[in-house]
Amino acid sequence: MAEETLLSDDFLRQLMGVGEVDLMVGIPTHNNAQTIGATVAVVEESFRQNFTRDRVVIVNVDGGSRDGTPDEVLKSITETHPSLRGLTSLRTIHRITTRYTGGPSPGGALRSILAAADLVRAKACAVISPQSPGLDTNVVKNLLQPAYRENFDFVAPLYSRHKFEGLLARLVLYPMTRALFGRGIRELHSTDFGFSGKLATQCLGEDVWGEDPVRKSPEIWMVISAIASGLNCGQTFLGPKVQPATTSGTDIVTAIRETVGALFWCLESHQDFWTRVANPEPVPTFGPDHELTTDTVRINRKRIYELFQKGVTDLSPILKTILTDQTRTEVERIAALDERNCRIENQLWVTVVLEFATAYHHNVMNRDHLLQSFVPLYRGRMYSFLAEHHSSTPDEIEKDTEKLCLEFERQKPYLLETWKAK
Amino acid sequence: MKDLIIQGLQQAYQNLVHMISVFLPRLVAMLLIMLAGLFVALLMKYLLRLILRFTQLNRLSEESGASQVLRNAALPTISELLTRSLFWVTWLAFTLVGLSVLGIPELHEQISRLFQLLPEVFVAILILFVGVLAANFLSRAALLAAVNAGFRSPRLWSGSTRFVILILAISMALEQIGLANQTVTSAFSIVFGACMFALAIAFGLGGRDLARQTLERYLGDNRKRDKEKEKEEEPSPL
Amino acid sequence: MATGTDQALWYKDAIIYQLHVRTFYDSNNDGIGDFPGLMQKLDYLQELGINVIWLLPFFPSPLRDDGYDIANYRAIHPNYGTLEDFKAFLAAAHARGIRVIIEMVLNHTSDQHPWFQESRSTRDNPKRDWYVWSDADDRYKGVRIIFLDTELSNWAWDPVSKSYYWHRFFSHQPDLNYDNPEVFEEMWDVMKFWLEIGVDAFRLDAVPYLIERDGTNCENLPETHAVIKKLRKRLDESFPGRMLLAEANQWPADVRAYFGDGDEFHMAFHFPLMPRIFMAVQLEDRKPIIEILEQTPQIPENSQWCTFLRNHDELTLEMVTDIERDYMYDVYARDKTMRLNLGIRRRLAPMMDNDRRRIQLLNLLLMSLPGTPVLYYGDEIGMGDNVYLGDRNGVRTPMQWNGGWNGGFSGADPERLYSPLISNPVFGYQAINVEAQKRSPHSLLYWMKRLIEVRKSSRVFSRGTIEFLQPSNHRVLAYVRQFGTEKVLAVNNLSSSAQAVELDLRNYKGSIPVEMVGRNLFPRIGDLPYLLTLGPYQSFWFRLRRI
Repeated sequence: MAEETLLSDDFLRQLMGVGEVDLMVGIPTHNNAQTIGATVAVVEESFRQNFTRDRVVIVNVDGGSRDGTPDEVLKSITETHPSLRGLTSLRTIHRITTRYTGGPSPGGALRSILAAADLVRAKACAVISPQSPGLDTNVVKNLLQPAYRENFDFVAPLYSRHKFEGLLARLVLYPMTRALFGRGIRELHSTDFGFSGKLATQCLGEDVWGEDPVRKSPEIWMVISAIASGLNCGQTFLGPKVQPATTSGTDIVTAIRETVGALFWCLESHQDFWTRVANPEPVPTFGPDHELTTDTVRINRKRIYELFQKGVTDLSPILKTILTDQTRTEVERIAALDERNCRIENQLWVTVVLEFATAYHHNVMNRDHLLQSFVPLYRGRMYSFLAEHHSSTPDEIEKDTEKLCLEFERQKPYLLETWKAK
Repeated sequence: MKDLIIQGLQQAYQNLVHMISVFLPRLVAMLLIMLAGLFVALLMKYLLRLILRFTQLNRLSEESGASQVLRNAALPTISELLTRSLFWVTWLAFTLVGLSVLGIPELHEQISRLFQLLPEVFVAILILFVGVLAANFLSRAALLAAVNAGFRSPRLWSGSTRFVILILAISMALEQIGLANQTVTSAFSIVFGACMFALAIAFGLGGRDLARQTLERYLGDNRKRDKEKEKEEEPSPL
Repeated sequence: MATGTDQALWYKDAIIYQLHVRTFYDSNNDGIGDFPGLMQKLDYLQELGINVIWLLPFFPSPLRDDGYDIANYRAIHPNYGTLEDFKAFLAAAHARGIRVIIEMVLNHTSDQHPWFQESRSTRDNPKRDWYVWSDADDRYKGVRIIFLDTELSNWAWDPVSKSYYWHRFFSHQPDLNYDNPEVFEEMWDVMKFWLEIGVDAFRLDAVPYLIERDGTNCENLPETHAVIKKLRKRLDESFPGRMLLAEANQWPADVRAYFGDGDEFHMAFHFPLMPRIFMAVQLEDRKPIIEILEQTPQIPENSQWCTFLRNHDELTLEMVTDIERDYMYDVYARDKTMRLNLGIRRRLAPMMDNDRRRIQLLNLLLMSLPGTPVLYYGDEIGMGDNVYLGDRNGVRTPMQWNGGWNGGFSGADPERLYSPLISNPVFGYQAINVEAQKRSPHSLLYWMKRLIEVRKSSRVFSRGTIEFLQPSNHRVLAYVRQFGTEKVLAVNNLSSSAQAVELDLRNYKGSIPVEMVGRNLFPRIGDLPYLLTLGPYQSFWFRLRRI
């Protein structure tokens, strides 16, 4: 029986027409007819302004839209007007679109984008979300340039954000990646990122695309793979982070399942690497470093505290299976304290995270359940952070984050020990 | 008279010898069958153990929580359970075959009935086992979802889920072995129906407002408003 | 020449060969080409297959702008022969079925011309008003300077008449004043002089600049068009079948006006197309060509675009955007010596790095895109250039006839030649010359002959419409030319690597493509996309036959 192929005949034909390119922008969509036209226009304008002489293509990979998204991609191709003077752009800017198989998923979309990048031998690529409200021509430029002109293999975004946003990254993803994999990538999970053709080919060849963490958060796996392969990873400043209007996927439970789950899975799949990493190295940054803003925001801290407290109580039997007795007892003690005194300090927090990682590795229970049971504890840590840094400056918060990173590094031997134990 | 007694004794002795001569080979055959059965059972156990190791059943069992259940019940691992079950079932089968060779009709009948019942019992046990696993898994899922969504009584949700699934599993198991079929089915339907009826009344009459709010929350436009509200309550994690 | 209805449109079917008589062949060994010499080479041109010669200015002139600064409109510069020599040449050309276009510089004269000498002498001279004078140099503010490398202003101070005179080109080329009817009548008289001798057409140099008005850019003004309409009317009335060719370096939409309603110029150069052909081949992308042709408006039925690859001037980059210009400079004129004004002063073959395949591709495009093609002398053998000669003289070196004395151009001492020959090992006359290429059936010269033959075999190229096919492979430029029921499909691979292309030819379903050079059959067109594979820089011309 013939092997099932990733690329449809029609897509292949379109790629043949494009030929070799220097730059590729991939846009995964699923029912984005409202915004895709504007997204494509911004990308094209960025090509015209910043990459005038380069061979470029926009590849839309669609998960099965019912609102005519692919038609919108191809629709607004600039037509030549007789009153024009000169060329609109030196080169043809190709737009191609395909539907990828397996139902809508970030992993399915990315895999098709990687396949396209490999076939057209793109030197640098960027993935852009059609729902990025803050997208402008500089975003596209900043994602492509490091890979195209500076030989970087993965380019993660950096944003200016409110000090209380992105806490999952600040409290778990960033410090853990930095301590264990040796590279502090601030925005491990993002819908906009860049990479080199070389990394695309490498990732395409891996047999991981059926795994759930890769299906849900492929970019996390991709950057970890790049780090583990010794490839160049960098970060590029893209301006303020604007949250999209639709909030699906940004609630805490989904966020933890997808990102923390992916990171834990990567710990497993790359254990040969991180178990040998010594000291972290700085990650080169293009443009300004990330920034924190301090506008006033309304946050219901009390509710977070209550969710933490109740969560710990109600999930006690489950936590027994995951955490050591000592850790669990300590967590329960803190959960029993009143609002003013309830604080999960860095040391305990890191221990909790690492014990969860170990439990994930040892399969003590269904992994999805394990990740869900992490949520109340994360809420507890988040509550502590919000209370502590209520009126902190960005510098103070950064100092605290640095301490957290060092704590992760300090407890790495503990993780190694429990990881290898049966 | 003496001759009669001697004749009678001789007759009895001959009968006994005859009976023994008929019975003994059968006994020997039975023992041989049982011995063969032992070897076959051991072989089957060994083969199954190999297959299960290959399929990583233990890992699946850990993930699904089955291992936890077994440990709590002080039972060995699932692969051990299965292999041992196979051993005993196989040997029992051979034993029963051996017993049937003895040629005792009443025993034969009982053995037949036992044979017929055996698969049903096995399936019933399997249904119960799966039911327990499902109850465990789903009740844990319900607990986690309820806790993380901030429901007031997550354990109630979790317990209810476990209860419903267990009742369902027990009913199915009992039905499988044909034990008080109708009673069990009726009882299950009545209890289940009553629960649903009670919930309907509770929601419909007693909890009108709550029902409305809940429906609005999960079906209507206010979904967005609530998500917005959640956004204010908790900052975006990513 | 015969002037039947079809013959009246002879310029549409023309293959024009552009040359300067000075460069072609020296018959009297004074180091300068002349008309008797040119006449001797008419057989060569006839064999090549061209049917029109366009001569660059041969009038008496101080030669400070290569003859475009004319000092006498009714004579031949003594360097090139006499008027009788010219007439003999003309007759010989006509006898071979070759028409002749000459230059007519309407806009300005040399400052050595007697008219200007008179005009400047006193303010009340009868010819004073024949030029554009002003006491101050503040009229016509903001008008662009064309020769940026040498001129700082469009006004020049005349110390004789102590006033300023207007000049759009060099300061020694004062502009004639067409607001004065006498000027028009005199110039018409000049043209009549040459038409009566038998010249077939005029290339009117620098026509956009004839009239000036304050508050405008002094280009393409309605009054200018009025002058041309008048000229054309006189020509049609008195000399039907003759032709006017405009040199108007403007965007296609602006050149359109010079065709009028078929009552101004018969032909005009399509300047903006030319750099884009070069761009497309370097970018390996058809977009520049298609876009500029899509911006090109329809012209009257009796009008025709004139297309070319290179000519005697720099490859002009006036009608391109800054991005396009920078790109062209970077890929074709990295050495700043190659740049002049807003252009590139190089020949075709050196620009193509002497890549035979690219040279052929560009000629194939020239011959198959709409318009009457102009071949610049020497490009048919792949002559080189000398960017170290001043101004644009690097592309005006002597024609290379053989590998011998002075490349066979002249018997004079080499030091006496009007210009040094190209003599490097790659493009020098020893390597590139007509004699050597005549001996090889695989030379560029032979290939050009064959190309011209194929082009002339069908009017589809000279008179047909064009429909661009837009296959997804942007490296392939494909179009269908149609004239009446005749159709030709041209497919060109603009890239240096092999390409596959699927063409949507459903409109031509059932036709059999017959390749026009080898005349071999290709598979019949059906419903499915028509797959073709092309080697690097390869082209196909298919006649689509229905049988």
